[in-house]
Amino acid sequence: MQPFSSSELFLLSLSLLIACRLLLPKMTVKGGTSQACAACKYQRRRCSSECALARYFPANQPKMFQNAHRLFGVCNIMKILRLLESDEQKDEAMKSIIYESDMRERFPVHGCWGIIWQLRQQLLLAIEELQYVKAKLTICREQWCSTHFSELQLGHVSPTNNDALPIFQHHSTDNAVPLSLKDHFVLNENDGAFIESNDDMVKPLWVQHPYYDNMINNNSMGIQSSQAFETLMCQDYDDIPFNTIADDRQSYIESKDVCESSSESSLKDTTQSIEYAWKNELRSAAACFSLTN
Amino acid sequence: MASSSSYNCPCAACKFLRRKCMPGCIFAPYFPPEEPQKFANVHKIFGASNVSKLLHELLPHQREDAVNSLAYEAEARVKDPVYGCVGAISFLQRQVERLQKELDAANADLIRYACNDIPSGIACTAGSKFGSSHGSSAEAG
Repeated sequence: MQPFSSSELFLLSLSLLIACRLLLPKMTVKGGTSQACAACKYQRRRCSSECALARYFPANQPKMFQNAHRLFGVCNIMKILRLLESDEQKDEAMKSIIYESDMRERFPVHGCWGIIWQLRQQLLLAIEELQYVKAKLTICREQWCSTHFSELQLGHVSPTNNDALPIFQHHSTDNAVPLSLKDHFVLNENDGAFIESNDDMVKPLWVQHPYYDNMINNNSMGIQSSQAFETLMCQDYDDIPFNTIADDRQSYIESKDVCESSSESSLKDTTQSIEYAWKNELRSAAACFSLTN
Repeated sequence: MASSSSYNCPCAACKFLRRKCMPGCIFAPYFPPEEPQKFANVHKIFGASNVSKLLHELLPHQREDAVNSLAYEAEARVKDPVYGCVGAISFLQRQVERLQKELDAANADLIRYACNDIPSGIACTAGSKFGSSHGSSAEAG
C-alpha cells in the first residue's frame, strides 16, 4: 500500500477541516476568541457576528437573558428593537427591558409597577412633610422677626438690605402654592397630555411620554389595601439601584428612610388652618393617583 | 373579577386568539371581553404564552395584581418602546431625591430655630451686628 502523497494529505486535511466547520456549531465570534452570547447559548444556536443580542447579553450573565426571555421572549424583544432606528435608542431600550425583566423576576406579582407605586407613596409622604415643615418655618421666621424687630428699628440692620435678612430671601424663590403632585401631574383628559409645573427643577425627562398618570387613573388594581404589598413595600424594594439604565440617572429608592422621617411629632402645633388647606390639596392630588377598580 | 368563560362569552384573550374559551381559561377572570385592548397590549409585548406561564406560577389570589401590573407595563411599552414604564421610575426617583434634599434643608433650618440658634445666612451678614447690638441692649437692660 502506497503512503499518501503530500497533495493527498493536504486535500484530506482540508476536507476534514471543512467537515468540522460544518458539523460543529460555530461557538466563536468573528474577530476574536469570545464565546457565544448568553442568548445564543440558551437557545443552543450559532452566535454569528451579526447577532443583534450579543452586545446586550454577555456570556457570563446567563440569568439576565433568562429573565428577559421569560418575560418578553426573544421574538418580542427583536420586534421592539426593530421599531427603533438609532443604536442609542436600542441600547436604552435593552437596558430598560433588562431592568424590567429583573424586577419581574424579583417581584413576580407586581414587577416595576410595585416600584412605581412605592415611589409615589414616598413622594406623597415627602410632600406632606415638606409642607408641614415649611409652615413651621414660616411661623418661626415671623416669631424671629418680631423678636428682633426692635434691632431693625434701631437701624443696626437696614430693612431694605436684603442681605441682612437672607433667611427670607433664601426661601423667597419657593413656590407660594404648596408643592403637590397636582402641580406636576395635571392631566388633559382628552389625550393624557402632561403639563409640567413652572418649577424649573421639575423637568421630567420623559415629558414627551405623558401617559403614566392617565394609565394609573384608569388602571384597576387592588393592591392599595393589600397587606402583603405593604409588607413588600417596606422590605423588599429597598436599595434597588437604577444604575443599569443611564449613568446620569444615579437614583435609588430609600423606602425606610422616608417612612421613618415622619416621626417628628414633637414639632406639631396649632397651625390648623394652614395644615387643613394643604391637606385638602394633598388629598385631591393623591386622588389623582388612587387606584380604583 | 369578571368571569367570562361562559360558552357564549369568550374572554378578550380567547377572542383575540380566535379560540374557544374553555372553562378554567387562565385568562378569563382577568381579561374581560369589554377590555380588548388590555389583552392586545399584553400579548403584543409579552406574548400570551409567557403571560400564561407567569400566571400558572402564581397563586390564584396573586394573579389579578400580576395581570394588572403586566397590563400597565405593556401599555407603557407600547406608547414608549424605548423606556416603557422604567421612564416613570427614573422620573419619580429624581423627584423623591429632590424633595428629600429640600426637606433636609428645611428641617435643618427648623432645628436651628428650635435650638434658638441664629438661622443660617444671618450670621455672616447681620449676625455680628446683632451680636454687638444685642449685647449692648442687654447691658443697657
